[in-house]
Amino acid sequence: MLFTFSRRTLLLSTTTVLAFGLISPAAQADIPDTDYQPVLAHLLGTVMPPKLDEFHDATKELTAEFKDFCNDPDAGGLEDTQSAFHAAMDIWQEIQPWRMGPLVANGRDQHIEYWPDKHGTAARQFRKLMFDKPSAYTDPEKLSGASAALQGFPALEEVLFAGDHGDQMIAADEDGVFLCQYGTAIATNLGTLSGELQDEWPAFATAMENAGPDSMDYPTAKFAATDLYRALHEGLLIISSQKLARPLGDSAEDARAGRAESPLAERSLRNIEHNLIGLFAIYDGKWGEVGEEGKGLADLIDNSLLDRSFRLNWQTVEDTFAELPPSVAEVLEQSDGYATLSDFKGQIDFLTMLVENDVGGNTQLGGGFNALDGD
Amino acid sequence: MEYQRRTFLKLLGVGGAVTLLPVGLARAGTTPSPEDRAVYISASAGDDGTYYVSAFNASGKILFEQPLPGRGHDIGLRPNHVDVAAVERRPGLYGLILDRHTGDVRAKLHCPEDRRFYGHAIYSNDGRYLYITENDFDHARGVVSVWDAEDGYRRVAEFDSFGTGPHELHLMPGGDHLVIANGGLHTHPDQDGRTPLNISSMEPNLSIIDRRTGKLVHQAALKHDWHKLSIRHLDVAANGTIAAGFQYQGDLTDQVPLVGLWQPGSDIRPIEAPDTVQYRMRQYCGSVRFDASGQVFGISCPRGGLVTFWDANTQDFLTHIAAPDGCGLAATDRAGEFVGTSGLGNGWRMDAIRRKRVELPDDSLKSQHWDNHLRRIIA
Repeated sequence: MLFTFSRRTLLLSTTTVLAFGLISPAAQADIPDTDYQPVLAHLLGTVMPPKLDEFHDATKELTAEFKDFCNDPDAGGLEDTQSAFHAAMDIWQEIQPWRMGPLVANGRDQHIEYWPDKHGTAARQFRKLMFDKPSAYTDPEKLSGASAALQGFPALEEVLFAGDHGDQMIAADEDGVFLCQYGTAIATNLGTLSGELQDEWPAFATAMENAGPDSMDYPTAKFAATDLYRALHEGLLIISSQKLARPLGDSAEDARAGRAESPLAERSLRNIEHNLIGLFAIYDGKWGEVGEEGKGLADLIDNSLLDRSFRLNWQTVEDTFAELPPSVAEVLEQSDGYATLSDFKGQIDFLTMLVENDVGGNTQLGGGFNALDGD
Repeated sequence: MEYQRRTFLKLLGVGGAVTLLPVGLARAGTTPSPEDRAVYISASAGDDGTYYVSAFNASGKILFEQPLPGRGHDIGLRPNHVDVAAVERRPGLYGLILDRHTGDVRAKLHCPEDRRFYGHAIYSNDGRYLYITENDFDHARGVVSVWDAEDGYRRVAEFDSFGTGPHELHLMPGGDHLVIANGGLHTHPDQDGRTPLNISSMEPNLSIIDRRTGKLVHQAALKHDWHKLSIRHLDVAANGTIAAGFQYQGDLTDQVPLVGLWQPGSDIRPIEAPDTVQYRMRQYCGSVRFDASGQVFGISCPRGGLVTFWDANTQDFLTHIAAPDGCGLAATDRAGEFVGTSGLGNGWRMDAIRRKRVELPDDSLKSQHWDNHLRRIIA
């Protein structure tokens, strides 16, 4: 597997070197600021809003399923609620890498999903919560002012997937009733948060699209577009340095699936699959049925060979990914699981390098003298 | 936020709107003010990999460009003298003493073989001694070297910085003490001299030493959870308040403060901007500067392309102004006003109180990529 990756890396690198060699960023004239405006309008004004609607709808569906389940708890209802959790989580994971504006305002991304939880805060607080069963945590409004660790997807995952919580909710015993009420409050709170995202996005998008010298926030369209480039770049870095590096640890002996994202719902790699969908939309401009191919950052790359090379490399990662199970735990259980996961991390790192060199260089969004090499 | 700004205006006794004009236009036909005579000086780079110390006037007109053997960083200003000290950025080997009016080289400093300069230098108030932060890399120890300007810039002493990876240093009010930002990062020239080798165990701190004896007077560190916050840059207000900017060596998504205020003798007080600004600071502060009043300080964040402004008295965030690749900051003689420079060649006059940004009118400034730090001199 490692050999396979090395060989693939070499091939990909060669492609990139060939493509890159044909057009050095240094030889490029400055891209006019007007070229960045349609990219901003497309990604922020056309592509993202329907996805936020989708997320909001998914959280409302999750709330409805939770309420139905808790009104008449049974195994089928639990399964439906878990499915609704997965559906909401899928679209959240696609939106998550667009870390800008309303997504990060008021700690919103952390309230939606508090992860990584480096100090085990959520588990500690959850244990205390189950011991005390405070009624405030069954009230969505009061819950929204509680610790971020207890009000988003990871807390809901604990309710729906941990240990015997499902059985307790079906049995409707004291713990089960509290879990049901608490879970419904979390789902409702997620609906509120996703609604806030929907509401706040248009003003943010307009400010970005109207970038100009009088704006103290976005003096040029290029500067505004830098936030999109950074989202693409940092999204890949986060997949590698947190979502994969944390469970991998320092060695095969040190690897722990429990350090992965969403370990109880067994969907740590499924999360990455959806991250990659949202990230590629920034480059491509098409996100599922929304948007149009080539109208993302790719629109700024005046080099069809480089564009094809980048798409090919991205597809190679997706093909590798398609062969993996949905969770880190399942991969690590395989005899060559550690090497497989390390190989995949290497591919993500390679994509990151391509984004830095090829996309950052050719879109001229990769950062300036001080940003790239300050002290 | 609006309330904060209004309160602040009141504090400064500023009432109605004031137009922020390029200095030449605003003051045409009047007696030359200190700002008309101001010279801004900074390390810079050309498009072809050449490095300079460059100076420009308040309109942004380049006054001189002195080539350097390698990339510079900050400039130390000798009080009441033509000398300015340009020390190579880490791991630096050279230091040049230049004439502030012409850029001519007046003296050369050579780093000892077992030390490396770390880019920052400061003179004593009487101008006699120059202090430079250095890395004693074989012992993972920071030092402050002392050079006698009245004896041909002879290296006369070396003090412990009481930490690893010392970076910016300043004189405290009164001039007897030096405050040093020990960034906590160990580097070694054998491993390129810049790659951190001790992130998991780094222990940054702020230390104040007696500049004559090297004795430690005060020291403070952040709580251990924040030990990956490299304390790199600082400035000191006339009342002794120290503002510091951090560079985080941990994960992109970690929620950590990036700015701190320190009154020696107490703990460092971390302060944060609202989430949307804090996030855009991208875990990295590039330069710190107090304004003329000593109440407002600016912290540039080149990775996020913005300059943040803070009120040292209330310890609150004031506002931010976008500044693509902006890093260098110097205070003008007006409260709340700064001149900033960028790696893209821009120069701006920025008003933190009225949240205004005006580009310096002379385009000659754009021929250079302006480096981390900017200093202001009254010619």
